[in-house]
Amino acid sequence: MKFSVFQLSRKGGRPKNEDRMGYCYTRGAGIFLLADGMGGHPEGEVAAQLALQSFSASFQKEAQPEVADVTAFLQTALMSAHRQILRYAIEQSILDTPRTTLVAVLVQGGCATWIHSGDSRLYLVRDGELLARTRDHSYMEQPVTEATAKKAPGRFNRNILFTCLGSPTKPVFDVTGPVALRQGDKVMLCSDGLWGSLNDIEIVYELGQKAVTQAAPDLVEKALAKAGNSSDNVTVIAFEWETPDASESALGGVSTDSINDGVFASTVQAGWIDTGVDDLNDAEIERSIAEINEAIRRTAARRG
Amino acid sequence: MSKVKPTPLPPDTMIGGYRVIRKVAAGGFGVVYLALDSEGQKVAVKEYLPSSLATRAPGELRPQVASEKLSLYRLGLKSFFEEGRSLAQISHPSVVSVMNFFRENETVYMVMNYLEGAALQDFIITARDLKQQKVFRESTIRSLFDEILRGLRIVHQHKMLHLDIKPANIFITDDNKSVLIDFGAAREVLSKEGNFIRPMYTPGFAAPEMYRRDASMGPWTDIYAIGACIYACMQGYPPNEAPQRLEKDRIAIALARLRGVYSDNLIEVVEWCMALDPLSRPQSVFALQKELSREGERRYTKLSVGEKVRLQFDTMVSDTKKSVKNVTGFGGKTK
Repeated sequence: MKFSVFQLSRKGGRPKNEDRMGYCYTRGAGIFLLADGMGGHPEGEVAAQLALQSFSASFQKEAQPEVADVTAFLQTALMSAHRQILRYAIEQSILDTPRTTLVAVLVQGGCATWIHSGDSRLYLVRDGELLARTRDHSYMEQPVTEATAKKAPGRFNRNILFTCLGSPTKPVFDVTGPVALRQGDKVMLCSDGLWGSLNDIEIVYELGQKAVTQAAPDLVEKALAKAGNSSDNVTVIAFEWETPDASESALGGVSTDSINDGVFASTVQAGWIDTGVDDLNDAEIERSIAEINEAIRRTAARRG
Repeated sequence: MSKVKPTPLPPDTMIGGYRVIRKVAAGGFGVVYLALDSEGQKVAVKEYLPSSLATRAPGELRPQVASEKLSLYRLGLKSFFEEGRSLAQISHPSVVSVMNFFRENETVYMVMNYLEGAALQDFIITARDLKQQKVFRESTIRSLFDEILRGLRIVHQHKMLHLDIKPANIFITDDNKSVLIDFGAAREVLSKEGNFIRPMYTPGFAAPEMYRRDASMGPWTDIYAIGACIYACMQGYPPNEAPQRLEKDRIAIALARLRGVYSDNLIEVVEWCMALDPLSRPQSVFALQKELSREGERRYTKLSVGEKVRLQFDTMVSDTKKSVKNVTGFGGKTK
């Protein structure tokens, strides 16, 4: 399996970034994940992180190196992520449970199958055209809303989601696929921060024209610029299937042939309490070095 | 990964007041140089330069990191700091010591004392080529591992595991001290930092739980590796890999061949350390030390005629297999 992948998350004008993304792969299968922790409920970022971790742990367990039943796996993994969040809420005695959206795409045997709950989206672009896109679980995107919307015209917020992970009611989700991928196909997962400020035409145009390593950061930049100071967090993870030059040295190139059977690679972080998507910044690097040198001095003094 | 390795710094490069003499080793995490400090003392300088994430063209000082690999690069840096932080707290003759830590060329460097000597691995290979009944004398093995275990005990006291103990990481200095080196695989156990998850282990020396993906590791994991190192000192070759042992365990047979050559007690210690079930091993270095340093007369039980016949038959079978499949030597790291 060969693909090039790019992921990026930028904080908009919000106090914190509750979006999470990541991918993992074995020799024979790969999974790409994106979760957007919901505001208005506590600890959205924890819900998003838990969803990713739980999903990647399920993948790690099942993909040996392929998943036996893709659809069943996606459904089970989503449900266990949901239960993981509920368990966390109970353990922490949080009355209002943390919630998150989730979109995940599993690739194996040259086919992609995806699952989603909420309004984080998947775009599949082939030859510059939109081949598939998830339909959000919001009253705006789902036809069932017509009747409901009529009942309370005007006062009805069409952007409201009617499902997600972590809510006390069982999540609603959709599984699509398998879709056989062709060389050069691009698949992008994104949070509503991206599609909220860019329309499908713009998104598909960028993805169709450029390599994902270029299109993804450009799209994020555009979305942030367009939304201005009030921008939501913008997160994308995108991959291009079997790029001819997706050697490991190429930008973002991944070839799963380079890893052994039974081995699993992941960018999903294991700890969530203090990790998140923040990197070590310069100040922290300097502080770490100072701390280590201080410890060296103390130890040397003890020895002397 | 099939890509060009980053170029090491050339001789005479000045970094943080140290002058590079030459590269002495390179691993997944970076490069180790022999260097001189301002007073002309030899030091080992380890440069953080993960070969899978960073590149450096010849003639350049600064490594280049592709933007999409930056966050992994910085996560790796955290582990490098963890290694420095832990080693900085440890002062023990059997554990490599850190003298300085600095930042330059947009990466970081760890300065350690430079050891003159050779790795235990080299000694084993030299000794086994002499084709004598014993690779090492029993008293040599006991005193060597007594020193190593003293160091390892301190490491475990700092809530740290080595996780890559093998003859290549046990250094014997020219003044006959044994020192544990290369803590690159070490992670602090209690604060499991998120990381790029790729199991790293050396076949033969890695305990079975290092292959399993979610099993809990502990001091017993390093103790398995210690047992495997002692085994290698007795046999001249590393033991079978743990997964192979789970299928068909030949360790007991291999050790039985050493009966009469090494004491029953030493053979039992190795079997104890290398138990496949983590709970059946010594649970702490202290427990192992106690057993290994037990005074008293050593018993040597020779094999009975029946046992010898059975072993010989076994040798015939396995020799045939060996000629088909070459025996693996001291393998490198599998990543």
